[in-house]
Amino acid sequence: MIEVEGLRKTYGDFAAVVDSTFSVAEGEVFGVVGPNGAGKTTTLKVLAGLVDPTDGEVEVAGFASDDPEMRRRLGFLPEESPLYEEMTPLSYLRFFADLYDVPRETADERIEAALDRLELDHRERRLGDMSKGMKRKVAIARSLVNDPDVLVYDEPASGLDPVTTNSVLAFTRELRETGKTVVFSAHNLYHVESVCDRVAVMNEGRIVARGSVDGIRERHGETTYRVFTDVSPARTDALAEVLDDIDDLDDLDAATEEVGDRFRTTVPTMDGVEAVRDATAAAGGEVVDIRTREPSLEDVFLDIVGRPMPGRYTGSGAVAEDSAGGDRAPEEDERDAPEEDERDATRPSEPPEGTE
Amino acid sequence: MIDRLRRVLRVARWETARAGGGVDRRTLLAALALLLVAGGVLGGGLAAGVVGLDVDQNVYRVAVDGGSPYADAVEEAPALTTVPVDGAELGDTADLVVFDGGRSGTVETVTVRASDTRKGEAAAAEFREAVEAHNERLMAAEENRTAAFPITVTLQYVGRTSGLDDGSTLGGNDEGGSDDGSGGAGGDGSDGESDGDADGGSGDGSVGDETGSGDGSVGDETGSEDDGFAVPSVGGAAFGADTVGSPGSISPPFPFVSLLLAFVFLVPMNFLIQAYGSSVLDERTNRRGEPLLVTPLSPVDIVAGKTLPYVAAAALVTTLIAVAVGGGPLSVIAVLPVALTFLAATFVGAMFARSFKELTFVTVGVSVLLTTYAFVPAIFTNVTPVALVSPLTLVVFDLQGEAVGAGEVLFSTAPMTAGAALLFGLGLGVYREEDMFTQKPVGRKFLDALAVRLAAIGGAGSDRALRERLRALAPVAFLTACTVPFVFVAELLAVALLFALPVTVSIPVLLVTIAFIEELAKSLHLYAGFERDAFARTDRVAVAVGLASAVGFFLAEKATAVVQAVGLTELYVGRAAFGSVAGMEGLPPIAIAGLFLAPLVLHGFATTVAAVGASRGRAYYVLTLALATLIHAAYNFGVVRVYA
Repeated sequence: MIEVEGLRKTYGDFAAVVDSTFSVAEGEVFGVVGPNGAGKTTTLKVLAGLVDPTDGEVEVAGFASDDPEMRRRLGFLPEESPLYEEMTPLSYLRFFADLYDVPRETADERIEAALDRLELDHRERRLGDMSKGMKRKVAIARSLVNDPDVLVYDEPASGLDPVTTNSVLAFTRELRETGKTVVFSAHNLYHVESVCDRVAVMNEGRIVARGSVDGIRERHGETTYRVFTDVSPARTDALAEVLDDIDDLDDLDAATEEVGDRFRTTVPTMDGVEAVRDATAAAGGEVVDIRTREPSLEDVFLDIVGRPMPGRYTGSGAVAEDSAGGDRAPEEDERDAPEEDERDATRPSEPPEGTE
Repeated sequence: MIDRLRRVLRVARWETARAGGGVDRRTLLAALALLLVAGGVLGGGLAAGVVGLDVDQNVYRVAVDGGSPYADAVEEAPALTTVPVDGAELGDTADLVVFDGGRSGTVETVTVRASDTRKGEAAAAEFREAVEAHNERLMAAEENRTAAFPITVTLQYVGRTSGLDDGSTLGGNDEGGSDDGSGGAGGDGSDGESDGDADGGSGDGSVGDETGSGDGSVGDETGSEDDGFAVPSVGGAAFGADTVGSPGSISPPFPFVSLLLAFVFLVPMNFLIQAYGSSVLDERTNRRGEPLLVTPLSPVDIVAGKTLPYVAAAALVTTLIAVAVGGGPLSVIAVLPVALTFLAATFVGAMFARSFKELTFVTVGVSVLLTTYAFVPAIFTNVTPVALVSPLTLVVFDLQGEAVGAGEVLFSTAPMTAGAALLFGLGLGVYREEDMFTQKPVGRKFLDALAVRLAAIGGAGSDRALRERLRALAPVAFLTACTVPFVFVAELLAVALLFALPVTVSIPVLLVTIAFIEELAKSLHLYAGFERDAFARTDRVAVAVGLASAVGFFLAEKATAVVQAVGLTELYVGRAAFGSVAGMEGLPPIAIAGLFLAPLVLHGFATTVAAVGASRGRAYYVLTLALATLIHAAYNFGVVRVYA
């Protein structure tokens, strides 16, 4: 449904997108993730026909991105959705339906269906008097008035409260079920994980990883085990050898934390779990709990973007497609998402105005 | 096409609803009420005779006996009012006193005394004109018109001097033109070009003071019965020998009322552009208009739809005003290009402005500039063809009930119409996501708008075939050609503003001004091309784009032949601005070709100089633009010398 080949977009000397190549199948939800300035929004705007590519081929629903016919088959939700505040949701959506030559009766049916599903009741209230979440729902409804084949959503849940966010994410998942093809960018990687079939990770204008969420996680993430004991494990040679394999946790003091009245030791393998069990026994205690922690997309993202990646990306623009992984493991209750500041430290400098 | 039109109309309908919805109903009602009150007061005043547009009525008090033959003349003159002679105190109860001195044979003696004040002098002048007009009417009523208007032609061949040498005012051929009437009766005779229809000097000496008549040579002739229309018939007396001068040397019949009414047409424009500019900028604020760009509508459709309601409103208001003030379709036809230009300039301003604060400056600037352009030349409606640079002059003619030819209408309206179209084109260049939501300074946006119309030249694709390279130069030439209407408008405005100055000052200033305007028009987009990396910064590219720009300008410049048709070049100042080299009749073809192509050589050389500077950065561009202006100005001086 979407084919992008060698996409390049530059603003003067600044390259917003460099040699991006990807495709999205019909009915697929494709996520684009990356830090600020990675080129996500520019990529999405090229897909929507808003920005002309400097180089490369872009085809959406069988049409070039600058073909007006393509726009009839596309719904776009920009990152910001300021509306015409003097209008009501109904008049606003009817106006856009008119621009797509949708007959009034059909338009009203679609508008009603979308607003019902998005649980927006105040259809005659001035948009200027609505909350941000309500306005976002109207903007989402606007993207659907022409019954498009392809939807391009830029940060659809950005800045919304948790309830509205969940509603928007659930709605996006439903779109996939109705056969729509969705390209979805998000800052919050949890949103991408919960909605997308496949993702592309962008950094500094380039796609640096691409594939299914599980595949990428499998390739770039590590599963760890957390062993809870009633005493701190003794320092044994076997345990020291296990801990050496974990970055930043190469000694027992770093690997073991006191959590309440228990001790938590993180190890990378089941052999490590056995080593902790033996060391704890040697110290006169016992293992009281063991938990598995799967890597989140956040961890993968930091792994790819936040650190040098020798051997993974050569700068040629060629990116290996990860194969689909298995079913996603249940989430752990303790989700160690990095703090906002940590993520910010990994961001490249901002691009010039008007670009991402 | 119909679908497209339908979508444009949808946008227009939506824009109308938005514009209406953007104003609070109470505010709207309050404004309407205020308007009604103001209209009521004005209407009541008019009805009661307290206020009126005839502000020049009954200005001077003339003490004259009811039986005097001058009583009728005073009675008929709106500016004069009769007061009784008995007990009249000069300077107190009367500005002018007319004493009948009795009759001696066939000679009737009359003495006129005016108070020794400026008002007294003005009253005397007005009285003189009233008497002349009265006599004209009496003679016009005579059955034997040959007897009433005897024609005397005196041929006298004299050597001519150039306007530059004699230091006369603009437009006057020589001193004889402006002074010819001083002798009063007997016809001017001082200028052999006089068409002989001759004010004739008829009886103007009757009042007998030293200033003589001035015999209405401007006023009567241009405004009265003979040809009905005072505008520029080529070579006609209207602007030729004996009538044309600057305001410093002539006494133009100031069409006050018509001018005032014509100005009324401009007032609503200021309100329209505020609403329109706000609406356009509103689309750019917080990316509000971004979803529109994703619809199947093109930017042209969107802008056309958004603009249509304002054009319709302008047309409606103009028509209503025309009906109210007694204008006809000509007034509407004349004002619509002005309205379009107001809107187009505001559109560009709103596309470039970064905030509503900046937009305010833009709209005020647009209003002042265009009002000046429209209004100032119209002041000279009955004086000079320069006035026709403003469409408002057509309105004045229309209100005066004078006929206007199609050529004059075209001359007046075409530059503004073309300018409006090009301004819309300029703004549309940045009506796209990449430009319309950025917060660049106005100057940079202007350069962006120019650069977006250019093709890449040099750089990576420099190994392209010659044909492709020439094709890439075509937009350069085209863009330069598109500036010609603006150049024309700017030069006409310069002519109109400098018209009042003595030739010795105005001609040099005009020639340098024109050189600067043209060099700027030819090179600014080249600078934009280099600054926005559309052009490779090499001398070769600079020369190529400089020459292409020169060719574009040269070809478009030749299209301004309409000026010749209208007769503006009958004026010295018009000739200096738009004229061509005279005396080519006896030259061999190759010399004529050389003279024809001389401007092309000039443009090519000067523009290349500026282009080379533009390729090196802003400071160099400013310097080379100044240099190109000097080269061009020197050429202009040469041409004027040759022509003179």
